[in-house]
Amino acid sequence: MSSPTAERSFIRSRHVEFAAIAVGLVLLTVIFPVLNAHGLLSDYRINLWGKYLCYALLAISVDLLWGYTGLLSLGQALFFSLGGYMLGMYLMLQIGMLGSYAKAGQNPTGLPDFMVFLGHTFLPPFWRPFHSFGFAALMVFVVPGLLALIFGFLAFRSRIKGVYFSILTQALTYGAALMFFRNDFTMGGNNGFTDFKFILGHSLVEPDTGPATMRGLFVASAVLLFVVVLFCHWLNGTKFGLVRQAIRDGENRVLFSGYATAHFKLFVFVIAACIAAVGGALFVPQAGIINPDQMTPIKSIEAVVWVAVGGRGTLVGPIIGAIGINALRSWATQAYPDSWLIILGALFLIVVLFLPGGIVSLPGKITTWWRGRPKAAAPADSAAAPSPERS
Amino acid sequence: MARKPFLRPLFCRILLAVGLLAGVRAVAAPETPRATIVRAILTADDTQKREIIGSLAGEGDEAIRDLFTAWRQDNLFVYTAPDGVKIPVQLLDGKDANGAQTAIRVDNGEALQDAVGQPLRLVAKKMTAVEHDARLRRAMKTVVDLLDLGSPVLTKRLRAIQTIGFGQKAENLPVLQARSRVETDAKAKDELQEAIALIQLVDPDDAVKIKALAELRDLHNSSSYDVINRLKAKAVSEARPAVAGAATAALAAIDRHRAMVKFYGTIFRGVSAGSILLVVALGLAITFGLMGVINMAHGEMITVGAYATYITQNVFGDGMNFTLPFIKFAVHLPGLHLTGWAYQLYFVAAIPIGFLSAALVGVGLERSVIRFLYRRPLESLLATFGVSLILQQMFKLTFGSNNVNVDSPSYLSSNWTVFDITFDWNRVFVIGFAAMIVLGVWLVLTKTPLGLLIRCVMQNRTMAACMGVRTERVNMLTFGLGSGLAGLAGVFVTQLGTVGPSMGQEYIVDSFMTVVVGGVGSIFGTVVSALGIGLADQSLQQILLNPVLGKILVLLTIILFLQWRPTGLFSARSRSLD
Repeated sequence: MSSPTAERSFIRSRHVEFAAIAVGLVLLTVIFPVLNAHGLLSDYRINLWGKYLCYALLAISVDLLWGYTGLLSLGQALFFSLGGYMLGMYLMLQIGMLGSYAKAGQNPTGLPDFMVFLGHTFLPPFWRPFHSFGFAALMVFVVPGLLALIFGFLAFRSRIKGVYFSILTQALTYGAALMFFRNDFTMGGNNGFTDFKFILGHSLVEPDTGPATMRGLFVASAVLLFVVVLFCHWLNGTKFGLVRQAIRDGENRVLFSGYATAHFKLFVFVIAACIAAVGGALFVPQAGIINPDQMTPIKSIEAVVWVAVGGRGTLVGPIIGAIGINALRSWATQAYPDSWLIILGALFLIVVLFLPGGIVSLPGKITTWWRGRPKAAAPADSAAAPSPERS
Repeated sequence: MARKPFLRPLFCRILLAVGLLAGVRAVAAPETPRATIVRAILTADDTQKREIIGSLAGEGDEAIRDLFTAWRQDNLFVYTAPDGVKIPVQLLDGKDANGAQTAIRVDNGEALQDAVGQPLRLVAKKMTAVEHDARLRRAMKTVVDLLDLGSPVLTKRLRAIQTIGFGQKAENLPVLQARSRVETDAKAKDELQEAIALIQLVDPDDAVKIKALAELRDLHNSSSYDVINRLKAKAVSEARPAVAGAATAALAAIDRHRAMVKFYGTIFRGVSAGSILLVVALGLAITFGLMGVINMAHGEMITVGAYATYITQNVFGDGMNFTLPFIKFAVHLPGLHLTGWAYQLYFVAAIPIGFLSAALVGVGLERSVIRFLYRRPLESLLATFGVSLILQQMFKLTFGSNNVNVDSPSYLSSNWTVFDITFDWNRVFVIGFAAMIVLGVWLVLTKTPLGLLIRCVMQNRTMAACMGVRTERVNMLTFGLGSGLAGLAGVFVTQLGTVGPSMGQEYIVDSFMTVVVGGVGSIFGTVVSALGIGLADQSLQQILLNPVLGKILVLLTIILFLQWRPTGLFSARSRSLD
């Protein structure tokens, strides 16, 4: 569904948006790391913000689908975790002889600890290429991308859309989470991957060199986020971007105009899966853990919340939502551990009921109200907006 | 009473004399086991002693066990009365200052009395214990082993028959055969037949073996499988094809029977799993299928029903206290302190309570949130997800994050066994109740004025409003009905799964899948797809021996199924384009 144009007039003014992006870029890639290097910003906070930026990538992938194409995918957490798992496999193999079993002399071949625990004596064949970082990095794109391609092909070919698409992606995520929870899937089962030591030869845990590695990962996440934002911005301006938004607003009309909407949707679905996967891959070394809890349908829905709160159909909205809600979570789970879920749920209700455009629509609303000329063409709620779903 | 001490031993001595002369049991009237033991004690000859003991095999008197134990533990003595009569006695524990113990007569189990009728206490050291050697002990053990065979308690008897049968000792055969002639219980008769056949398997004669195998084949009881299998291996190695062939036939019969039991058992479990799914999904078929609202809080309506059952149970019992979070309002529910059948009835009371409480919560949800979102189904998904989070946390804060315990009423916790297939009562009950609920929903939707209004509003809300239907009210009632059905499902789930704050999440994905597969808007489709998914899930579990893999396969199958029929099994056809 479209964000009403009037509300976006403020955000739409490219200058402001570009200024915001530029300020953010400088802040995140230069100022924060420099402050951190001089001890003015704690390592903990850099690490925390690094994770937020990865979540922002996940949020953008949701927004690409939901905000711009009208596909509410509840499977983005799956792609996020798949990306994370792919890089996690590389990180697990990097531990090598530093694992606790190897230190105790019970693991002469340097298998990941959980495999020794489960009684494996050799590395499963599909794990072997993950000794190479390049291969793992390639797989971060290939595995989620391929899954999205196959699933999307099946789903869009039979014209599954609207809530059915949501429910199917949710089922896919649920099934995959069940699979990863199993021990004999050799992906760490319940506990997933953890206890990482090195990435590309840089230590993640050493007290003297670890923070520098984390800073590097932080900068990488920030740069990647801006690359993705710029890419999406460029995509919006192309004809492809316009068709995509037309699909959101009236798929049948686009279809009858001679566009193969399924191909457009499939392309966006795969791109979004890859973006989520990259976010996941950067998330894992910073969080230090990846387990199947990250791929439950609930996590997908949470990502949708970030986008809804920030403002869908915009580029800065998802970023604001992801960072804002996760910062709120960090604070609230410590200050009000009992009420955090209630706060989150209430936030959700409020945004859906009263602020369908999200936080980014607030300035527009305020200026409209300030100028005192409520336009008839600018309905306050999007109920009047053309609804592509069933009525 | 006074004559007894004299007469009994005399009688025994006469008996003894006759027995010694004739060498057979020369008693016209049936002798009590106790008298037999006395006779054994007073017999001098070891071989005869063993024979007399052996004659007790198959008796069911518990006194035999006690007396034999006492005998082996050197607690049996022979007391010589002042008149020279020998009376076997059992000394009980508990010595007094003089080292004397209470003496119990072996022949009648009563206290030993002196001439004037006073209980006599004896000192063990001054007497010699009744002797026993290894062979005698063995004979006693055989008798004790067979003791339960004559037990009046059926379960004890069955166990004894099985133990003796699997012991495969040829010497027990006559006892079993004697028992099978007097046994009246049908099940015990079957077991006896099996035990006899099992013992006959060790018979040296092949013809007897083959006959026994044929009997085992007809009984096709899976417990004898291993024994037959061993016999077959032995017969094959000894090159006795006739026996091996009969064993193979018996094994095949058992396999067939096992497969049959497994097949019908799977169908039963599948139908019952499908029924749970059906009850859970039926509410969703109304809110999602008919109304088009994606209610992610549907799972929490199930939880409301389950906690309503929990509260009802406590009110029928000892009452409960809990504090509502945030407003800190302490609720004290006094208990009715019922016991027995009255308490067991709590589950019956919980059924309407669960329905009404979930329906109330549903109506509240509809009035406060969902009515603003009828035109925005995707956003109803998000908003109700928020509601779901809030409700889960509320349950956690009110009832604790641990699972709570809901008792199973006695009338739901037993089971039937028909042809070796176990039918749990609670599962049978769920199937029956699911059928009733489906019937009820169908009646409400098709035969009542409310149903008519529901159907017309769901088909075309605007047109119904134009015709003067109060659509707001119908929406509210419909949503209440759907939520109430979820509450009913919650009442059932207490009998089959755990009750906790997040229990609703277990069912939400499955129930959405059920509705989508069945065809949105079709109650009948939901019934078919719930039963289908339940059956597929259970059979895959049986085939793969792995519940999770089965579930994943079911999900994959559903995704592929929707390729074939994107709108589900039974979809409402319409020319309208969204």
